[in-house]
Amino acid sequence: MLALLSVLLLVAAYTLISHRQHQVNPRDTTIPSWGQLADGVRKFTQLDRKEERWIVEDSIATSRRFSYGIGLGVTCGFVLGMLMGCFSSLEAFLQPPMALLAKVPQTAALAVYFVAFGTGMSMYVAMIALGIIPALAVTVHLAIKDLPSEMLDKAYTLGASNFEVVTEVVFKQVLPKFIDAVRLAIGPAIVFLIAAEMVVGDVGFGYRIRLQFKLTNMNVVYPYLAILACFGFALDYGLRLLQAKLCPWYQRGSK
Amino acid sequence: MTSTEQHNFGLHCRGVSHWFGDNKVLFNLNLKVDAGQFVALVGPSGCGKSTLLRAILGTHLPEEGEILTQQNGRLLNAARPGRDRGIVYQKYSLYPFLTALDNVALGLKLDQTTTAFRWLNWSAWATKRVKFRERAAAFLEKVGLGQAMHLYPSEMSGGMQQRVAIAQALIMEPEIILLDEPFGALDEATREELQEMLLRLYEENREANARGNKPPYTLVIVTHELNEAIRVGDRLVGLSQYWDWKAAGHERSPGATVVYDKPAPIFCPDERPDYELFADIRKEIRHVVYNPEVFQDPDEHISLSPTR
Repeated sequence: MLALLSVLLLVAAYTLISHRQHQVNPRDTTIPSWGQLADGVRKFTQLDRKEERWIVEDSIATSRRFSYGIGLGVTCGFVLGMLMGCFSSLEAFLQPPMALLAKVPQTAALAVYFVAFGTGMSMYVAMIALGIIPALAVTVHLAIKDLPSEMLDKAYTLGASNFEVVTEVVFKQVLPKFIDAVRLAIGPAIVFLIAAEMVVGDVGFGYRIRLQFKLTNMNVVYPYLAILACFGFALDYGLRLLQAKLCPWYQRGSK
Repeated sequence: MTSTEQHNFGLHCRGVSHWFGDNKVLFNLNLKVDAGQFVALVGPSGCGKSTLLRAILGTHLPEEGEILTQQNGRLLNAARPGRDRGIVYQKYSLYPFLTALDNVALGLKLDQTTTAFRWLNWSAWATKRVKFRERAAAFLEKVGLGQAMHLYPSEMSGGMQQRVAIAQALIMEPEIILLDEPFGALDEATREELQEMLLRLYEENREANARGNKPPYTLVIVTHELNEAIRVGDRLVGLSQYWDWKAAGHERSPGATVVYDKPAPIFCPDERPDYELFADIRKEIRHVVYNPEVFQDPDEHISLSPTR
């Protein structure tokens, strides 16, 4: 009930501010009225001169780049974290590069990615993946280090092999923490992708927002931002559901 | 003694010594636990109880000596934790991501199936899984947790968790079960219930002995509660660093060893012991094992002689 009220208040405040702005300047596009916003939505959902709908083209491009990047990053982050947690030699070997990589701001390193990977799909994927791998790997690594040795020793007394200790005990303990880490990595991943699209993209959300912002078509920019926010929220919610499904013990335990 | 009887032990520590650099912990410790015995291990803090337990479990090997268990007549050296030895810890006793039922069934799954079998032969695994869970359910009934099978550890009380942990170890039918201060974090009433549960297992041992079968459970329980040791154990073993090592020709304390080893009174599960009657035993143990002023001849209070 209070949540609904806060949303209504936001809508009312926006309407008021927009209305005041249009009293000063009727042609204003920085704080578009609801009618202008509807025009903007029409603009990106209708066919343009190239017989394309912006929203469809942008969504396909951005979501493909995002899913490949996240997919690779999540896989590598998990595998590297497990390796670091399970083998002390790999831990010593991988820790310095991870610590270094974690400290490089991805958006500042954009130029490096363009030089190394060009401006195609591989650049976006590399940027997202390398951006989220350190945080994910460190989370998994620390989660494994946190496991009490009693739990592992006990697994051996129950007849587990080394491999089974990893799959049946370590993996299951680490999984919910890993899902939490992925949830936290979604935000940075979107930032990296949009930033790269803004600089070199010729299609995609970042490209469209930059272009329309230059034309001060904020009636396109705001709905695009809203869509991005919804996308991020939906992913987060989905991951929470996944965690509740795969690790029903986790939330109960943290109560 | 025939050769089969000679081999009828659950655990045999032979000349076990351990030290961490200059810190001498265990010295020439000999302890032979017969199958079916419930050994209560007591000793002052710092006497190396935990070190000994870890050595028996196989996670931290002793510097000298050997620790043997046997399985199907085969001698096993405790080089690493294995399914011939069970353990019940005070903390971290259960896997938080499994329900009580699956915690108990876990050992059957790990011991009797392989990862490849479970991943590749789904239908056969599903059948086996049902059987394992039925056996686990029967075990949980036995320890009085029929109602709590589908609870996660975080939803159980400390006493329930320890019951499940004991069932988890029992279902593997190990040669020996080690309990490391298992009831240390529980309140008095719960402790007594769990002691009764252990005594019920001891009763099964006696019935098996009476029928001439091999008793199913062999236990080493480490506790700091003398009354608990007297009630649960059928044998009291005191480990102490306060023994007469000067007489044995050492200049500094070479570490703790067994200074007390006597049979304990045996109780029925429903019998409420009158602890007043054991004041003498407690006094003797406090004197011999716990008192740092008393340097005991290590052989004086050993009536259950280990093989030296």
